[in-house]
Amino acid sequence: MDIIQSIFQYILDMGAPVFVPLIMIVVGLVVRMKFKDAFSSGLTLGVAFIGMSLIIGFMMGSIGPAAEQFVKNTGIKLNAIDGGWTAMAALAWAWPLAFLMFPLQIGINLIMLAIKQTNTLNVDLWNVWGKILPAVIVVAVSKSMVLAFIVAAIQMIVELKMADINQKQIQKLTQIPGVTSTHSMTLFGVLLYPINRLLDFVPGMNKHIDANWLKQKLGVFAENHIMGFIIAALIGIFARLSIPEILTLGVQGAAALTLFPMISKLFMQALSPLSDATSEFMKRRFKGREFHIGLDWPIMAGCNEVWVTTIILIPIMLGLAVILPGNNVLPFAGIINLSVAVPALIVTGGNLLRMIVLGIITTPVFLYVATNIAPIVTDLAKTTKSVDVPSGQMITWSTIEYPDFRYIFARAANGEILWILGALIWIGLFILYYKGMKNRNNKLDKEDEGLGRIA
Amino acid sequence: MKRVIVACGSGVATSQTVASKVQRLLKERNIPAQVDAVDIKSIDMYVKTAAVYIAITKPEKEYPIPVCNGIAFLTGVGMENELQKVIDALR
Repeated sequence: MDIIQSIFQYILDMGAPVFVPLIMIVVGLVVRMKFKDAFSSGLTLGVAFIGMSLIIGFMMGSIGPAAEQFVKNTGIKLNAIDGGWTAMAALAWAWPLAFLMFPLQIGINLIMLAIKQTNTLNVDLWNVWGKILPAVIVVAVSKSMVLAFIVAAIQMIVELKMADINQKQIQKLTQIPGVTSTHSMTLFGVLLYPINRLLDFVPGMNKHIDANWLKQKLGVFAENHIMGFIIAALIGIFARLSIPEILTLGVQGAAALTLFPMISKLFMQALSPLSDATSEFMKRRFKGREFHIGLDWPIMAGCNEVWVTTIILIPIMLGLAVILPGNNVLPFAGIINLSVAVPALIVTGGNLLRMIVLGIITTPVFLYVATNIAPIVTDLAKTTKSVDVPSGQMITWSTIEYPDFRYIFARAANGEILWILGALIWIGLFILYYKGMKNRNNKLDKEDEGLGRIA
Repeated sequence: MKRVIVACGSGVATSQTVASKVQRLLKERNIPAQVDAVDIKSIDMYVKTAAVYIAITKPEKEYPIPVCNGIAFLTGVGMENELQKVIDALR
């Protein structure tokens, strides 16, 4: 037993860039990939880790000192730098038990389909990383692996139910039949739904704003390099750097935000044969049965309301980050808050004004959760050696998806009574959401019938 | 070599899944092409150097190159049809 333990420890000690490729090769062989394909995928993952580490190190090395100056000049403490979702995904994949989420996800989906508790077949296996992250947080907070997997399982079940009940609304928004989204960010809808209902009592909330026109005018601000430049330059200005330093920092920021997604693509490339094989497997098991295909959130990326919301929230997030007491997060790579825009799109049915209001109201939630998980996430990066975080700095994600669920359930798993109560309340809100959306779906169906759209 | 672009929300995950799949399918049929995943925010820039655009979302305007439906590659429904459209556009 000890020998096996020490072999594992030996492999893990080599750090994520080595052990994750090893796991990938083994998993690849298990699903019957050819050795050279499995080796290639594994090695690509290693490359992705090193690449990610380089960029994050670069970003923290350039923005970090400027942020420290900023802190000295303004007295505002912002130590945790936002590496965005691409950095988080890299960390998630570095968790030694990460790959176990694949069979858990597939198993839960198959069981729920078999007992007719869901009508959705989730083929988006890439987003398994979205379940690895909360598991990691739960382990850090409660030290229990078992609870981590239980929370992950709860999330998977809720996701499938959300995918079911959101299908009609998503179809209305995207015009794509037969699909829905199993992306975990939809869970934030549970918190947004009651707030949205409250907005019903505020006059003027149903005013229609033309998102397409706004997107054309403002769209350029959402481009990675432009945004990176502007935010980094702003930090430089507030840090009272010289003009050449500000401009250099700006270009460095642009570089970091442009390169992040480019490297992240390598993760996807490496995992795509595995994800393909598993979705083929899933589809074959349920041939002939009518179900919705659960996809990634970008199917809704064609709705300009999403982009306009995220752009308008950029200055708001920066402003709130500076004024909110107790916030330690410097929003940067994750500043495009899709984690609120997409669920808001679904909950409000595409009402841009409400989406923006919901975004503004909930931004503090994102910032506070990001602040609280920064030490956990930074620690994971250090222990798995997946990402090089300079000492004295922390890394986090300013717009972590469904922050409420992740935080509440992590604290609940730690046995804290208050948070267990919180978890129960969350589940209660989820049931409310489910019922509310069901009513909405019935109304949507009646509208379609009235217009002669469905038989 | 002619270029095929696939765009999604961030140019990372969904578009890369489709891009990898299309690359594989084209390779099986011995059709040379470079398939790249790009992010939809910068689509106008990428369209200039591509022969065909595989869209995951409904395109909101006319593009100077043929546009195909990327969802088919994710769901498998109608995939052969869309693949043929891509192949035709590459000729």
